[in-house]
This record gives sequence, structure tokens and C-alpha cells, in this order.
Amino acid sequence: MIFSDFGMDTASLAGSLETKLAAVRQAGFSQVMISANDIVGHPSGIAAGVHAVRASGLRVTGLEALRDYEGLAGQLHAYKVDIAKSMLDVCRQLGGGTLLVEASASTHAETDPEALARDLRKLALLAIPMGVRIAFKGVPWSRTARDFRAAGDIVFRAGCPNLGLSIDAFDVLAAKVSQDDLDAIDPEQVFLVQLSDFMWQEMRSAEEETSTATHFRVFPGEGAHSEELASFVTKLDAIGYIGDFSFDVYNDDYLQIPPEAVGGRARRAAEWLAETVLRRALPVPDTDRLRRSARG
Amino acid sequence: MTNPMDREAVAEPLNPLGFDGIEFIEFATSKPQALGEVLERMGFRPIARHRSREVELYRQGSMNIIVNAQPADVPRTVQPVERPILSAFAVRVRSAESAFRRALDLGAWDIPVRALAMELNIPAIHGVGESLIYFVDRYEDFSIYDIDFRAIPNVDPNPPAVGGLHFFGLVQYVGADRTADWVEFYSQIFGFAPLPDTVRFGIMPKGLLLQSPCRNFYLQLIEPDDTARYAPADEHLQRIGFGTPDVLGTVALLEKRGVEFLASEKVRSSERGALTKPCLGSVMFELVHDDSDATLARR
Repeated sequence: MIFSDFGMDTASLAGSLETKLAAVRQAGFSQVMISANDIVGHPSGIAAGVHAVRASGLRVTGLEALRDYEGLAGQLHAYKVDIAKSMLDVCRQLGGGTLLVEASASTHAETDPEALARDLRKLALLAIPMGVRIAFKGVPWSRTARDFRAAGDIVFRAGCPNLGLSIDAFDVLAAKVSQDDLDAIDPEQVFLVQLSDFMWQEMRSAEEETSTATHFRVFPGEGAHSEELASFVTKLDAIGYIGDFSFDVYNDDYLQIPPEAVGGRARRAAEWLAETVLRRALPVPDTDRLRRSARG
Repeated sequence: MTNPMDREAVAEPLNPLGFDGIEFIEFATSKPQALGEVLERMGFRPIARHRSREVELYRQGSMNIIVNAQPADVPRTVQPVERPILSAFAVRVRSAESAFRRALDLGAWDIPVRALAMELNIPAIHGVGESLIYFVDRYEDFSIYDIDFRAIPNVDPNPPAVGGLHFFGLVQYVGADRTADWVEFYSQIFGFAPLPDTVRFGIMPKGLLLQSPCRNFYLQLIEPDDTARYAPADEHLQRIGFGTPDVLGTVALLEKRGVEFLASEKVRSSERGALTKPCLGSVMFELVHDDSDATLARR
């Protein structure tokens, strides 16, 4: 069975970094999204955290997350650039890959699209010598980009080859963003897709959306929106998205059960998506290359 | 206020930094004498030593090469090992300070100041791999070497170039699918422009060419072969390209000095270019047919 397109997120799991990585491997995944604090908070230091990840043999989907970066001025901007540089350096030590950047929720952030694009362009340029790609994600509580359409506009305006989008299914489902809007997205510009669901039919308030997003997400197939999630993933496949799917399941309950149990749930989600929804069960050698050339 | 004469948006000038060629290219090695012998065979002469560091200056014609054996004191820079590594290049600009500030604003990584008392603080940013890129604006009336270096006694400080050799370009190895990223880096920070695939120099056909805004220096970006695409990305400056108006004549002169050139089915010296056999593990030089030598003409 192959579900190499899918990966887990260390934020879904309890325990030490090593325990989390072992659970991800045991569940059969070959890639993992790393929460920055799992590396920098490693009891034996950053180098030990980086070593644990590299020794696990898992491919790093990306490092998360730089927040409240764009739209700041003066000293605040300089401070955030410094934070960004530290995170890029951790990313480099992990072997490059992708840094996830969530659209700013800071009340100090200005919203002039040109200024936002300039800041993201700077971040992308900082990332080039480090071999890192920047995946910018709109979030519903942001002041600068509330969804993938707004984030896509800023990314397009910035126009950097290593700057792209991360699209989070949760935000699309919760805010009821039309999936037809995905037609306007250039699949090459999507660097990462994050997948999760939630248990209630709809969000009653912005507060409920925020608290659900940070505490009560569930794996695809476990929640109340399996059909929409399936059509979201199918739609991405149809527009030509060939990148990774990462389960960004932040759930307080999952942090109180054994990581192996959470890994099992993730595995069921990947099987459901790979074999039932996408029928991606059979691997083809060098699939990326074939898909690219098929698209011309 | 709108000027009625403005009919169109005027873009940033094509040469925002006043880019004016290459001041020096640096190797790092823990065996500077071994590299010195290789450079001397290529026509370079040692002409000065740094006042406080284990650094030597070699020169021929318009070209300066720095051989740096000083242990690295800044993270993410080349630690000298036996095998020489291309560790830096310095670009000539109108104002080093403003070019450096502009680069930082755009998103370059600076390195900490390392100059000692009475030494020049030459601003630098991180380039590919562990290499650095310096900004130099003192190269006409007096040079950076006048201050930081002591001349080696009884040595001609301006040895002539063998066969009109001059800096032509640098070859940079980049990771798979990374060409576009590096094009962005060099065009944003320095104003380099990619050339169409139909423009080719020398005998090594691969990769994408970037032309400097002063139009007499080139960067060639080369991605890994198919078989190496999935190996961990190793990005670095790989070799220096020298321009010469007469490749085969210069090859003959250099062969007399003991330089060996590759002569295989795929790569052999021709009017277009030539490639030296690798020395000391990795050092090779490329010759490229090029009539222009603006830097030489100015001296």
C-alpha cells in the first residue's frame, strides 16, 4: 500500500519528538510536517532535534509556522525578519523544504497589498540561499489574507518562484469558501495542501471557528464533512495539484491518547483518501516527472 | 504630482547598483601553497599578503584571486580544507554601502563585520552554499589591497595576463528545479538578466546563463543530471571561466606552462573554449572565446 502523498503533523501527537516520529513511521507514512517547537524545544538542543528528524528517514513536508510576519513596519518588521531568519535556519538544517507562513492576525499589520507582497518577496529571497520554499496560507482570523483566494492574490503580486500557497481544507470548509474558486489557482503555485475536518455541521461564531481550528480538528473521514472534503481533494487533483497532503489535525483529545492510536487514525484517513477518493493506491515510478510532462 | 511629459512608467534602472564587473574571486584552502602552484601555472603571480590574516593576493592582468587559509570565524562560511573551494566573489559597484543596504532590504543575509582596526570593512552577503558575495567600490584611484595587504617586495604588482585572460564568468551548481530561484536571487539583488537558450559560450553546453548588468560577466547555473536529481542538493560555485580572444593560442601558452586540458570525446579544446583537467580534487578552469575585456582596457 502506498500513500506517500500523505503525511502527518507532529502537532497531532503527544510525547517526545522521537516518540512522535516513531509513531508516524509505524503508521506507514514517509513524510512528516514538523512543528518548530518540537525542534527548538528538544531537551537535548536543536542539533539533537534535527538529528532525530534526519535519522527517522522521514521526509520533511515542511516546518510550521511563521506567524504575524507580513505588514509590519520599523522595529516590528526588523524583529519579525529576525524571527523568520531563525526559522529559515532551522528549515535549512532539516534539509531545506518548505516553511509554512500563516497570514498575519496582528493588529499592527497594515493591509496594503503592495506592502504585504514586498514583505513576502523579502522572505522568499531570504529563503533562496537556504534552499527553502515559502508556503503562504490565508487563515480566517487574519487581517491580511482570510482564505486561499486572498493569499493567492498576494503571492501572485509578489511573484517569486519559491513563494507559493498552502491551502487548508479546514478553512475552506469552515468558511464555506466555494471550491470553484480553486479553478483560478495555478496548481504549480500550491506548495502544500493541509487536510482536516471537524465534528459539527457549521460554525456559529468566529470564536467557535478559532477554538475548533486549534483544539477540535479531526482526520479526514472522521468528521461531518467527508463528502465536501472528498470533493475538495478530487478538485485539487483535477486542477493538476501534484504536491503533498498533510493532516493538520490539532485536537486536544489526541494529545491524551497514545501516539500509535492517533497514527492509526491518520492511516485510515490516508487509506480512505488514497484508495477510495483519489485512487492513488498504485505508485508509478517517478510520478512527479510523469505528471509534469503530461501537463506540458 | 503628475508630470504631463510622463507617458509611461519608468522601471528601475537596469543596473541599479552601478555593477561594474568582478573585483576578486576567492578560494579557501588549508594548503594555500599547493593552490598557489596551480594558479601560477595558469599565469597568476602572488603579489601581496594580508596584514592580519592568512590570505594571499594573486594577480594577472585585470584579475585578482584571493587565496584564503584563515579558519572560518563566521557560521555558514567555508572552512578551509585541503581541497580548494570557491568561497567568495566580490562585485564592483558604485557605492558598496548603498548596494549592501539595498540587498539587505530585499532579503539578503548579511555577515558580521570582521575588520580589525585600520582595516577596511568590506560588506558581504551570503551567496550559494557557504560562499559570500562582497561589495567593493574602491577599485579605480586606489584599491582595497592598498589598505589591507602588504605588497610582496620586488614583485611586479601588475603582471600581464597570459593570452589576454580576463574574468568571464562563474559556474554555479544548483539543486534540482532550483534554477528559477537563483535567477530571482541574482536578478533582484544585482540586476543580472537571464539569456535565451540560443546564446551559448564556450564548449560546456548545459545550464542557464545570466548576464551581469555591465554585460561583461556571466553566471552559469547548472542543475544535476537526471541520475543525481534525488540526491541531497549540493549547491556551490564550481569553477571560474576566463575569457580570451584566442582560445587555442592561449591553450598552447598554458600547456607550455604545464597546464593540462581535457581532451575526451565530449570535451576538447576548440576555438570556442577549453576546460582544464581538475587539480587538487576539484579545481578546474574554463576558457571561453571572448574578445571584449572592458576591465583590461580601463587599466
